[in-house]
Amino acid sequence: MARFIVRRLLQMVMVMFAVSVLTFLIFNVIPNSDPAVRMAGRQASQSTIQAIRKEWGFDDSLPQQYITTMKKIFSGDLVSQFTQLPVNEEIIKGLPRTLSLAIGAALLWMFVAICFGLYSAVKAGRFADRFLTIIALIGISMPVFWIGALMNHYLGFKLGLFPNGGYVELTKDPIDWAYHLILPWTALAILFIGFYSRVLRSNVLDTVNEDYVRTARAKGLGERQIMIRHVLRNSMIPIVTLWGLDFGAVIGGGAILTETVFDLQGVGQYAAEAVGQLDVPPVLATTLFAAFFIVLLNAVVDIVYAVLDPRIRLQ
Amino acid sequence: MATEPALEGALQGPAAWEEEADREHVHGVGPWRLGLRRLRRNKLAIAFGVLFILLVLACLAAPLWADKVAHTTATENHLSDTIVIDGKKTNVVGLDGVPIGPTYKGEFFLGADPNGRDIMVRLLYGGRNSLMIGVAAALMTTILSVILGVIAGYFRGWSDGVIRAVLDILWSFPVVILGVALGVALALGGIKLGPITISGDSVLVPTFVIGLVYIPYMARPVRGQVLSLREKEFVEAARAQGAGPLRIMFTEVVPNLISTLLVFFTLLIANAVLLEASLSFLGAGVQPPNPSWGTMIDEGVDRIATAPHLTIVPGVMLVLTVLALNVFGDGVRDALDPRAKVRLEH
Amino acid sequence: MGKLGRRALVLLVAALSMLVVAACGGDDDDSGGGGGGGGGKSGGSITMSQTSQPDHLDPALMYTVNAIEPSWLVYTPLIAYPRKEGQAGAELIPGLAQDLPKISKDGKTYELTLRKGLKYSDGSPVKASDFEHSIKRVLNLESGGSAFFLGIEGAQDYIDAGKCDADISGIETDDKTGKITIKLAEPDGSFTHVLSMWFAAPVPGDTPCKELTKDPPPGVGPYKFTESVPNRQFVMEKNENFPDLGPDIPPGKVDKITTKIIKSAQRQAQDVISGELDYMQDPPPADLKPEVKAKYSDRYEEHTTASTYYMFMNTRLPPFDDPKVREAVNWGLDKPALARIFAGELAPGCSFLPPGMPGYDEALDVEDCPWGNPNEPPDLEKARQMIKDAGVDGTEVTVYGNNDDPTDKVTEAYADQLNKMGFKATPKIVDGGVYFQTIGSAKTKAQTGFLNWFQDFPHPKNFFFLVDGKSIQPTNSQNPGNVDDPEITKGIAELNLEPELTDEVAAKWGELNKKLVERGYIVPYGHRKLATFLSERMDFDNCSLFHPVWNNDYSSFCLK
Repeated sequence: MARFIVRRLLQMVMVMFAVSVLTFLIFNVIPNSDPAVRMAGRQASQSTIQAIRKEWGFDDSLPQQYITTMKKIFSGDLVSQFTQLPVNEEIIKGLPRTLSLAIGAALLWMFVAICFGLYSAVKAGRFADRFLTIIALIGISMPVFWIGALMNHYLGFKLGLFPNGGYVELTKDPIDWAYHLILPWTALAILFIGFYSRVLRSNVLDTVNEDYVRTARAKGLGERQIMIRHVLRNSMIPIVTLWGLDFGAVIGGGAILTETVFDLQGVGQYAAEAVGQLDVPPVLATTLFAAFFIVLLNAVVDIVYAVLDPRIRLQ
Repeated sequence: MATEPALEGALQGPAAWEEEADREHVHGVGPWRLGLRRLRRNKLAIAFGVLFILLVLACLAAPLWADKVAHTTATENHLSDTIVIDGKKTNVVGLDGVPIGPTYKGEFFLGADPNGRDIMVRLLYGGRNSLMIGVAAALMTTILSVILGVIAGYFRGWSDGVIRAVLDILWSFPVVILGVALGVALALGGIKLGPITISGDSVLVPTFVIGLVYIPYMARPVRGQVLSLREKEFVEAARAQGAGPLRIMFTEVVPNLISTLLVFFTLLIANAVLLEASLSFLGAGVQPPNPSWGTMIDEGVDRIATAPHLTIVPGVMLVLTVLALNVFGDGVRDALDPRAKVRLEH
Repeated sequence: MGKLGRRALVLLVAALSMLVVAACGGDDDDSGGGGGGGGGKSGGSITMSQTSQPDHLDPALMYTVNAIEPSWLVYTPLIAYPRKEGQAGAELIPGLAQDLPKISKDGKTYELTLRKGLKYSDGSPVKASDFEHSIKRVLNLESGGSAFFLGIEGAQDYIDAGKCDADISGIETDDKTGKITIKLAEPDGSFTHVLSMWFAAPVPGDTPCKELTKDPPPGVGPYKFTESVPNRQFVMEKNENFPDLGPDIPPGKVDKITTKIIKSAQRQAQDVISGELDYMQDPPPADLKPEVKAKYSDRYEEHTTASTYYMFMNTRLPPFDDPKVREAVNWGLDKPALARIFAGELAPGCSFLPPGMPGYDEALDVEDCPWGNPNEPPDLEKARQMIKDAGVDGTEVTVYGNNDDPTDKVTEAYADQLNKMGFKATPKIVDGGVYFQTIGSAKTKAQTGFLNWFQDFPHPKNFFFLVDGKSIQPTNSQNPGNVDDPEITKGIAELNLEPELTDEVAAKWGELNKKLVERGYIVPYGHRKLATFLSERMDFDNCSLFHPVWNNDYSSFCLK
C-alpha cells in the first residue's frame, strides 16, 4: 500500500514538472512579441528595453530562463512582468476567494444533486422523474458565464435581491461573505447538479435491484432505512470519487469564468487577466497552482480507490 | 435516462435484451437493429435530435438569410442608418450608443448590436462557426483518441506507458487556462506546421485547442475498452488465424468501439461547443470581427442593461443546441446500451 | 424517502432565505464616517474607484491618468496650475516656487527660487536640492518621463554614470537661498510646462532611487498617501503640513479619500448610483449612461478634454504611401458614426490640436474642416472614386486596435468603413497592455489603426511630437504612421525653440496644425469627453471642479 502511495506521489511530481515545462514553452516558443518591449511600456527608450532584458534574463537560453523562473516561484520572488507585483502574494490573496467559491459550490451541488437524484430514482419513470431529468439536462447545457451574467444583472442589480458581484472577506463579515457568494455558488453548481443527480439516479436504480437490498426488504426493514443505509451509501462511492475529480477541475476551469463574471478577484480571474496580457510569470504560477489541485485530487481519488479495491494497486 | 416505465426495476444487461426480444417476438435481430428500434421509441430523444438538425440547417442557411432577408452581412456596420419602426424613422444605433431591439421584420429581425450589425445574421453565422468548431474539434478528439487508445490498449508495454503519461499530463492541465493560454498565444502569432501556416484569427486555432484538450477524456475509456476487448475470443481467434496486429485492430477492435464512440461523439460536440463559447468569452477563441455565440455573449454582457437581447439571444441558441445534443446523445446511449455509465466531464 | 429529500430541500431554502433576510436587515451605511463634520463643507471621508491599478504611485514613474489624477494633489511641482475650470485652469502659476521662472535671453537658462519654510507631509523641510534629486530619480529609473528632461545639460552624462547620487551638471541649487538654476542644451519653449509635471515635483533628498509604489514618498500637497495595497486600494488623507500656497492652490476639504480598484465599470456605476461609492474615475459605461443621464443628471456632467482620437496611416507602406489615398480616407471616414460607438462621449472633430490647447481653432473642427463638417455624414462617393483612381481598391488592409472598450468596436467600425471605401479591411485586435508597443514596432508593419493622445500639459509641442519625423524609431515609436513631412518637421523644430508660448507663437502652432490636417497624414476624428459622476451625498453644485489639465480635482470634493 505504501509503495502505491509513494509511486502515485512521484507521478504527481513528474506530471507537475511536465505541466510547468509545457506552459513555459507555450509562451516562449510560439511566436509573439518581444517580452522586453511589451514590459517597457508605451514611452520606453532603447536603454530601458535593454535594461529590462538584462534584469529578466531574456537573453539567456530557454532552459536557463526556465530554471531561473522556477527558482523564483519556489523562493517567492516571482514578479509579474507587467505590474512588478509579486505573483505569490497575489495568488495567496486570491486563494481564499477561489476556495470559498469552489468549496461552497461543491457542497451546494452535492447536496442538491443528492436530493434530486434520490427523488428521481424513487419516482423513476413518472412525471417528476422526467421533469427533473429535463431540468438536469438544461443545467448541463448552460454556459456558466451566461447564466451567471444574467443572474448577476437581473437578480443582483435589477431586483436588488443580491449584491452585484464583488467579494467580502469571511473574516470581516461571514454573513455578507455568504450573501455575496450565493449567486456565484448557484451559477457554478447548476452545471454539476445536472450531472451528479443523473449519475446518482442511475446508481441508485442499479443498487436497488441488488440481491442484498431485496434481502433487506424481505427481512422487513423499513424503506427509508434501506434507502439510507444500503442504497445511498453504496451509490455514493462512485459519486464521491467523481466529486474529487470535478472539484479539482473546477479550480482549473469553471472557477475562472464565474470569478470573471462576478468580479471575485480570485486566482482564476488573476490567471485569465494575466494570460490576456501574455504575462508569463503569473500564468506559470497559476497554472501550476491549478494543476496541483487537479493532480492532488486525482491522486487522492486513486489512493481511495486502491484502498477499496486491491486489484488496482497491482496495476 | 429511462423513458419507459416498463424498464424501471427490470432486468439489465443481456437479460434485458433477451426479454425485449421476447416481447417483440423478434429473435436473431442484431444489436444495431435493436438499438435503432429502441431509439425510435424514445420520442423525446428523436424530437431533440430533429431540433438539433433544424438548428444546424438554420445556421447553414445563414448566407441565404443574410442576402435575401436581411440584405446585409455579419460584419457590416449600420451605425448611421435609420429604419422605420411603427411608422417612425428610428436610428439603428441611437446617439447614446443604444442599439435597437428585435423588430421581428426582415432587417434586424432580432435587433442590432452597438456597431449596428444585424444580430440575426450574426447569430446564424456565429452558429456556423460555433458548430463547425464543435464538430471539427470532436472529430479531431475522436480520431486522436482512437489512435492513442487503441495503441495503448492493444500493445501495452512501453507505448502504453508513454501514452498514459501524455494523457495524464494533458488531463492535469487546467482546461480553461490551457485553452486560453494556447488560444491567446496562437491568436497572436498563428501556427506554422512545416509548410502550412495558420494565421492567428483562423477558426482552426480554437478547433485545434479544443480538440487537443478533450483527448484524455476520450482516450482513457477507449483504452479501457480495448484492454478488455483484446482478451475476447474473437480476437484470439483472429490471432490464431495469423492476422497481424494492424488487421486485428481495424477489423475486430475498432468496430466494437463504435457504439462507445457514437455516444461519446455527440456528447463531445456538446462540450466542445460550450468550451468554445467559454474561450471566446475570455477572448481566446474566435477573434473579432468574426461572430460566434461565445463572442456575442461576451459583447452582450457589456450592454446587458440597455440591450439585454444581445446577451439573451445567443445564450438561448447555445443552450438549445447543447441541450438538443445532450438529450439526443442520452437517447443514443440508452438505445445502444442501457447499462452504460458513459460520462463526459466539463 | 421522498420525504427526506423534500425536507432537505425545504431546509436549504429556509437557510438561504435566512441569509438573504440577515444581509438585507443589516443595512450598514459603509461609505465612511457617516456625514462627516456635521453636514458642513469640510471633513468626512469618501470612497472612490478606479478600473485598474495605477501604473505606479511613484511620481518619478507614473504616466497614466489613474495615477496622475490622485497624485497631483500629493506632489505639487515648482510650477503649477490654478484650480479653475476651462482656459483659466491652463495658465501657469508658481507652485512651490516663488514666481514663474526667469528665462535668459537665449532661452537656455531658467532661474527659480523655492518658497521659504515649506514642509513635506511628514514634516521634514523642503530644500532646493530636492528638486535636482527628483529629476535624478526620473532619469535613473529610466522613467517614461525621462524624455522631457534629456534636454538639460549633463542629463545624458548622469544617465551614463549609472549612479543614483551622481551629479547633473545642468542643475545648480543652493539650499540656503533656495535658488534653482537649470541650463538647457537648446532652448525649449515647453520647458516651463515640463516643470509643471509631476515628474519634476520635489520629494525628500533621501528618497531612494527605486520604485516606491507600495510606499509612496511624501510630497507637498493638499493630501498625502497613507496606504497603498496594489490592486486592491490606496488611501489619501488630508495633509496637515500643507503650507499656504495662495488661493489658487487651496487645501482639500474631505479628510480621507479611499480609492478602490474595481475592475467592472458597470459595478462602479451601480455603486455610485446606490451611494456605496462616491466617485468613479472613468465615465459610467455606455450600458448605464442612458439611465444616469435620465435619472441622475443633477450629479453628472460631461466635459470635453484636451485629447484627440485619430487613425494613423503608415506612410511607408502601401496603400497609404500614396497621399491621394490618405486624403480619400479623410474624405470617407464617418465621424458621427464613430461618435455613436462612444455613446456620445466623443465630440466629432477634424483638428489635431484639441480644444483648450493654445493654437486651437474651433472653426477647424466644424466648418473649416477641409474634408467637410465632421458632424455630418462623409462624402463616401468621393472617397471611393479617389481610391479607385489610385488603383488600390481591393487592397487588403489590416486595421489595428486594442481590446479596451470601446476601442475594439471603433476599430471594427473603421475596418467596415474602409471596406465601404473599397478596401478589403480586417480588424486585428491586440491586448491593451501590448498595443502601443505592437504598433510602435516597425517589424509589425501596421498599415493603419487606432490611436489617441491626451495632453500632458497645454503646449502644442506635446501633441506635435507625435507627427514629428524625428520621433520615428524602430521600436516604441510614438509616430507609427511615420509622418515625415520636412516642412512640418522644420516648423516643429523652429517653434520648439521659442522660449515662451506667447499668443503669436500659439497662432503659429495653429497654422502648423492647419497644414498638418490639410495634408491628410493622419485622420483625426474627434475629442474625448470625460465625466464627473458623484454620489448623492456629495455636493455636486459647489464642490466638483473639472480641471482642463488634470481632470477631476479631488481637493474640490466635499460632502453636502
